[in-house]
Amino acid sequence: MTEEKFNFTEAYQEIEEINKWFQNDEIDLDKALKKYEKGMELIKKCNDRLKETENKFEEIKKKYEIKE
Amino acid sequence: MDLGKSEEIKLLSKEKIFTVSEFLDFLNNFLTFREAIIQGEIGSKINSYPKYTFFNLLDKNGSILKCFTWNEAIEKLGIIFKEGMEIKVIGYPEIRKDKGELMFQVKRIELVGEGALKEQFEALKRKLFQEGYFDEKFKKPIPRFCEKIGLITSKFGKGAKQDFEKHLGKFGFQVFFYDVRVEGSMALNQIIEAIDYFNLNFPYLDILVLIRGGGDWESLKPFNSEEIVKAIRASKIPVLCGIGHDSDETLADFAADFSASTPTHAAKVISENWEIASIEINKFKENFNFLINKIFKNIKDNIIPFKENLTKRLEKEINSNHEKINNLMRILNLNFKDYFRRFESLESEFKNNFLNIKRLIKENKLKIKQSLEELIKGQNNWKREIEKILAQQKMKLDISNPNLKLKQGYSITKDEFGKIIKEPKNLKFDQKIITKFYKGQIISKVKKINN
Repeated sequence: MTEEKFNFTEAYQEIEEINKWFQNDEIDLDKALKKYEKGMELIKKCNDRLKETENKFEEIKKKYEIKE
Repeated sequence: MDLGKSEEIKLLSKEKIFTVSEFLDFLNNFLTFREAIIQGEIGSKINSYPKYTFFNLLDKNGSILKCFTWNEAIEKLGIIFKEGMEIKVIGYPEIRKDKGELMFQVKRIELVGEGALKEQFEALKRKLFQEGYFDEKFKKPIPRFCEKIGLITSKFGKGAKQDFEKHLGKFGFQVFFYDVRVEGSMALNQIIEAIDYFNLNFPYLDILVLIRGGGDWESLKPFNSEEIVKAIRASKIPVLCGIGHDSDETLADFAADFSASTPTHAAKVISENWEIASIEINKFKENFNFLINKIFKNIKDNIIPFKENLTKRLEKEINSNHEKINNLMRILNLNFKDYFRRFESLESEFKNNFLNIKRLIKENKLKIKQSLEELIKGQNNWKREIEKILAQQKMKLDISNPNLKLKQGYSITKDEFGKIIKEPKNLKFDQKIITKFYKGQIISKVKKINN
């Protein structure tokens, strides 16, 4: 159910930021572990989202006209 | 229905005799609902007024349609309205009561023919550009990952919709499809309606996609109007246009937040980042694993030498401290011994002093004793001497004792105050005087004074 709040754009951006952070030479192990865990979690969520392969099409004009 | 209405007219005509005005009103009531599109050429007679214009629409058969239009409809063309131009007028007929002539009330004018349309296109493009409608600074960014898409196109078309859907890829998009006509007189209003509809009812959409397949200038006309440019600019949802073929450029494309060359391209613009992400995300995963292992290795590599280094340093530190403590102890012992030595010498010194004091006391005691003896001896001598002096003094005193004189017969006379009278010069006649004898006294009065 947490998937509802999941935002791919934000998650992907965060992954990129974590990746950038890891490029830094001075790394604190505690932080690195936290970031790694967070990154892997986000990657999993993004992968899950990418696996939802079917597009949903809705013809809204018809719905709108019926309502009228 | 039409049949019914014409029967109604017959019926009314038989029953009622109209005045001219009434009849024209009666006809106009029907005519104004007869909206039509009429194509023709602009005649030579154009009467322009500040707010409206009269002109004639002609055809090759020499027929004339008198037209009235508000100047707004002419201004929207963007090019000069002149004789010989082929145009389409959209409006309704009306009979002018004061002139008794049919006047077509023009609501909208459209140009006909590629040359005129191109001229109009360029003029309108210039005007809208100057007004800032194509300004980059007003363009909204297209979200990197669009998920909810509002699709505006025709479900019939020449495959624009199919092309778009086919190339969109399967990334779980939610596509809301609003069917519109993409050419002809209905197109413009429907497209504007669709843009407004999405903005009003689906404001959370990531993007609006306006697409249609290729076509000639005539068919792309709705996308080259001022109205569509304004509607695209007014949309709060970013608009992505993919109209016609690669070579086609429309005003809608200029106004759009992003212009794709074709419907296929539009689909690719949206799916591109998703495709990249689906590849990149696994690279990130590998990268993260690699990096975290690298960090661990780095830490391990650093910790071992650090540990060795630390042990060495610690040992050195302990040794150095050990040495320091030994030194301190040595110094302390030395000091302590020294202290004791000093104490011992002090003690012996003190002992010596004590003996000295003892001796001194003894000596002093002896001195005191001697002094005391001498004093006692001296005192006896002094006593004898005093007794001798005292006896001498007593003797002297005894000699001068008045009683002795009185005993010898002398007497002492005093005045009444007890003062001894040695001569009579201060005495007065009849003054009382007291004369004391060895034994007894008399009181007498002065009778005669001989100085």
